[in-house]
Amino acid sequence: MKKTTKDFESAIAELEQIVKTLEEGELPLEKSLELFERGVKLSKFCHNTLEEAERRIEILDERGKLEEAPETLELTEKSDSEKKR
Amino acid sequence: MIFVNHLSSKLPFDKEPERQPESPARRILSVSELTTEIRNLLETRYFDSWVEGEISNCRHWQSGHLYFTLKDQNSQLKAVMFRTALRHLKFTPEDGQHVVARGRVSVYERKGEYQIICEYLEPHGRGALQIAFEQLKKRLQDEGLFDQTRKRPLPRLPRKIGIVTSLDGAAIRDIIKVLKRRHPNLHLIIKPTRVQGDNASEAIARSLEAIAKIQGVDVIIVGRGGGSIEDLWAFNEESVARAIVKMPAPVISAVGHEIDFTIADFVADLRAATPSAAAELVIAAKEEVTSYIESLHNRTQTSIRIALQQATRQLHSLDRRPGLTSWPARLASYLRHIADMTHGLRHAGHEGLDNRRRWLHDLQHRLETSGFRRTLSTSHTRLVAADGQTNSAIKRILQTRDAQFRVLAGRLDNLSPLGVLARGYSICWNADRTAIIFDAENTNSGDTVRVTLRRGELSCEVK
Repeated sequence: MKKTTKDFESAIAELEQIVKTLEEGELPLEKSLELFERGVKLSKFCHNTLEEAERRIEILDERGKLEEAPETLELTEKSDSEKKR
Repeated sequence: MIFVNHLSSKLPFDKEPERQPESPARRILSVSELTTEIRNLLETRYFDSWVEGEISNCRHWQSGHLYFTLKDQNSQLKAVMFRTALRHLKFTPEDGQHVVARGRVSVYERKGEYQIICEYLEPHGRGALQIAFEQLKKRLQDEGLFDQTRKRPLPRLPRKIGIVTSLDGAAIRDIIKVLKRRHPNLHLIIKPTRVQGDNASEAIARSLEAIAKIQGVDVIIVGRGGGSIEDLWAFNEESVARAIVKMPAPVISAVGHEIDFTIADFVADLRAATPSAAAELVIAAKEEVTSYIESLHNRTQTSIRIALQQATRQLHSLDRRPGLTSWPARLASYLRHIADMTHGLRHAGHEGLDNRRRWLHDLQHRLETSGFRRTLSTSHTRLVAADGQTNSAIKRILQTRDAQFRVLAGRLDNLSPLGVLARGYSICWNADRTAIIFDAENTNSGDTVRVTLRRGELSCEVK
């Protein structure tokens, strides 16, 4: 998980660098297209990483153990969250 | 208590030998006796007194007890507060504070001093809680715990959100409600915690420590719904502040009160006015990075579009240069031409072929039906006959022509200079053979002339 986060951050950093380089507009077209392709790939990766986390609610008990939260905490739209699982 | 025990250890002084009896009116007491009597009197009479005054000469002893003087304009009263009582105090007594003290008056017999043994102390005017708050705030601030440089940014990609609050209050429901409404995929880890009442601060601190042990928790919300200042007090306790400071991930304080800040608010990385506001902040951080990535994505697209437009413009400007201008037009006309041709070819081809086939068919038909064959064979016979006649006629003509040719050739021969030379004549040229010498007058003695003979040539000198 840490690795993904790190990758996520470094992907954003690389994407920022690419945008900067592209916006300077000093590259030959071919190189620009290459960077563009990489940029699109990176932004897709970031976007997917943001989306892939799952929605979960857990309770940490006195012994330091994690358990699924009781349904009473889930309030309404229970069916919605079940669909998601 | 300790003080009393301490005093009772001095009791042996009370048991001094009896003096000689005096007159009944005269009752002589020892110092100790009198002191004890005074002490008993005071302790009975002032066993639970309230007194108001200003603190001075305030000294914390290593034993943990606090010694000070209460005074007003005219009088002073010695005071002590033992460690056990001090522990429950919300604030730290300091010189100059105007306080109300509650306690019993007693006597320190060894020195003959009376003093008030305080069980409780509260600031006069401002509440004890307020004083305590300001004192803790100042202390933590001096330690640098409120510094902006200490504040960590919320994670851009929140994986697990630790939540320290009560399961019974509105806070947890508010947080979940917000998260549901905004539908982000977030993972919550809730540590149910008592957030008010006795030892709530210790409970909160322990819960924070427990959350800190969970792998991957990258932001923590600690808080509760609104309430009175006493209800919220746990969030003004040092233990909570210390626990927040020690958290490995950024902490959002979310104590439900809009106006005042708690100590927890000051030391937290981010302060939310309510628990639902804290949830909004976490989502906002995630949404912010989502839209940031989108904007980066759009910027790559914009810049590549610009690059492509530039390249196209360059291409067009090249296009307009004289040598190349005609090319597209020419190419287009070629293409049109080729298209036309292909079309025409097919068309014409088909048409022509059909026509020819029809014509051939016609011909064949006519051939077969019109007796052309017969005509043809007659013609052939006649042709063969004619051929013979033609041949002899041509032969005749050729013979005549041959004779004529021979005559003409002979005459031609005579006219040719070579023929003349053959007959023994010769031609005299000037030295460089550019002109024929027709007249001897045109030569001088010593000139060189050339003479062409039938065979060979002479170079001669005129004499």
